[in-house]
Amino acid sequence: MIEVKNLTKIYGKKDTTFTALDEINLKIENKSTVSIIGKSGSGKSTLMHIMSGLDEPTSGTVKIDGIDIFAMKEKKIDAFRSSKMSFVFQSFFVEANATCYQNVLLPLEIAKVGITKRKQMVLDALKAVDLEDKVNAKASTLSGGQKQRLAVARAIVNKPSILFADEPTGNLDSINGDKIMKLLFGLNKSLGCTLIIVTHDPDIAKHTSMRILIKDGQIEGIEKGRK
Amino acid sequence: MSFSDIIKRSLRNLLTSKARTILTALAIAVGTFALTLTLGASNGAKDYANNIVKSNFDPTELIVAKDKNLFSREDASKPQVYNPSFGSVTTFGGGSRQVEYLNNADIAKIAATPGVSSVQPNITVSLQYVTRDGQKKYIGTLATYNSYQKPTLLAGSIPDNIPNGQVILPQGFLSSLGFSSASSAIGQNIRLSVQNNTSLNSALINPFATSATQDSSKSQETVFKIIAVSETPSTSISAQTSLYMYSNLNVVESLNNYIYSGTSSYQKYLEAYAKVTDGSNASKLNKAQALIKKEGYSVQSVVDTEKLITQFISVIEGIVTLFGLIAIIASLFGVVNTMYISVLQRTREIGLMKALGMHRKDISWLFRIEAGLIGLFGGMIGSALAIGIGTALNPFISNKLSLGTSKLLIFKASQIVILIIVLAVIAVFAGLLPARKAAKLDPIEALRTE
Repeated sequence: MIEVKNLTKIYGKKDTTFTALDEINLKIENKSTVSIIGKSGSGKSTLMHIMSGLDEPTSGTVKIDGIDIFAMKEKKIDAFRSSKMSFVFQSFFVEANATCYQNVLLPLEIAKVGITKRKQMVLDALKAVDLEDKVNAKASTLSGGQKQRLAVARAIVNKPSILFADEPTGNLDSINGDKIMKLLFGLNKSLGCTLIIVTHDPDIAKHTSMRILIKDGQIEGIEKGRK
Repeated sequence: MSFSDIIKRSLRNLLTSKARTILTALAIAVGTFALTLTLGASNGAKDYANNIVKSNFDPTELIVAKDKNLFSREDASKPQVYNPSFGSVTTFGGGSRQVEYLNNADIAKIAATPGVSSVQPNITVSLQYVTRDGQKKYIGTLATYNSYQKPTLLAGSIPDNIPNGQVILPQGFLSSLGFSSASSAIGQNIRLSVQNNTSLNSALINPFATSATQDSSKSQETVFKIIAVSETPSTSISAQTSLYMYSNLNVVESLNNYIYSGTSSYQKYLEAYAKVTDGSNASKLNKAQALIKKEGYSVQSVVDTEKLITQFISVIEGIVTLFGLIAIIASLFGVVNTMYISVLQRTREIGLMKALGMHRKDISWLFRIEAGLIGLFGGMIGSALAIGIGTALNPFISNKLSLGTSKLLIFKASQIVILIIVLAVIAVFAGLLPARKAAKLDPIEALRTE
């Protein structure tokens, strides 16, 4: 479970402060699908960054399975993130000159997974996103949809318990966008990971079991149950 | 991330930007090329100097002189006070200076020093001429043969003690004296003539006196039988010494006495060789050296002589090394620049790696290893080029410099490996600042970078 308590994030100092998040409180059950919805600048990405330990709050706590992640030292947070979390970004962030295999291998290298296990884990991940025939293809040769599927493969290769997706369909056409969302929801079920999607698209949000509406850094409402 | 994964990833990143990697590595290669050649030339020169010393000096002997300044650098810019009891020598620059000579009492005193088994004055006789029937007369030098020398012989053999009236002829005199081959010279006679210095002096004092240089009573011609012909050594101290003829001490000494009889230089010697009992033992040699020095003499061992010769080589080596180092330092700025560009180009990749849990220390290492690999490649390219070109040109250069079997460039694998490793380590340090920048990047900001 992810438990967020009194989370506040203020940027800037003295007269030029900006409150990005203001006293956020929420709980996310394990294996659930959650969408964080809001307009641009509402604070949804900041919330995701803090929940994943990429950014620090000004005040408040984030507990994952009872562990206060900001009570940990930086190295521990890194290790925690590499073993428990993964990310899919709007801009894919794949290494263009590396092969699909090498791209998917990265989280395993970071998590220091044994060399003997790696190959099968990478192949499984590529198979899960229907890219098993592109193992040795360079990422630069893939289409936009394929690149995002590659990014999804990279995100699931280490079997994370939480998968953060930040506008995962933002750079894709509707057909490829639908494919990616189906893939992510399918993986939520098959892998049993918590899927947290940051989006401004209500069509995506309606498929999640929990919707957190953010406005001006505050929670405007939390909806539960699929629409 | 494990260290091997960091190395693999760094290597892949470098191969992704091949042109940039090669150009930066080439800058380092220039300095490495110069340093490798410097090391090779220095090794060659030291080896050559070592060969010269080994083939010309007995390591169990000490060279002893009476003059305090003979083996040391004195200030030659100031005039020297004249001393009528001193002899004079010609310096390398062609100038003249006075030195104090050893006499027979000194020789006896040195021989009595504990640890010294024998003392032999160093005598070389400047011959008036050397000739044989039907041939021209040539200027020559007769020196005392030391069994340690073991010259390479073209013909004949040398007994432990060369009998009186016998001589070793150098290869350089063969054709001049009309011999068709080395073997044809064996057993043949040559005539060596020496001239008494008093007659020479009178000729110099009064150049118009016709009797002096032509006064046969003041010259002595001796017949010598050739017992061996020595090959021209590549390790001669100078071109002149390669034409030295050798005979035993008694013969050389008697001719020397004839030359200087009636002069102030009679039975006086610039230096003498003191053989030390069990002189191959460094501590015994040092002990004897200290004792002779205590007696008020100037003493030099073979090691000292070698040091003196290699001192000049070391100075040259130092200067060239400095230029090589400057080139390498300049190229390291290229590494810093390349790595900064790499960090800027891969900002989003760094952000992703941080998001996926890569620790900043590992990110720092990723860039430091990349810099180190550039240094390693540069070192390998530069060294390989230097070894390749040096090895190809070595026979030609060595031949031009008349080094004989010695080589101008001697490359030692251990030195090259150390040089390359040191370069890689220095390059790792050069990558420190860009690596620090990469490690400190805020992952969120990095991921937002366009």
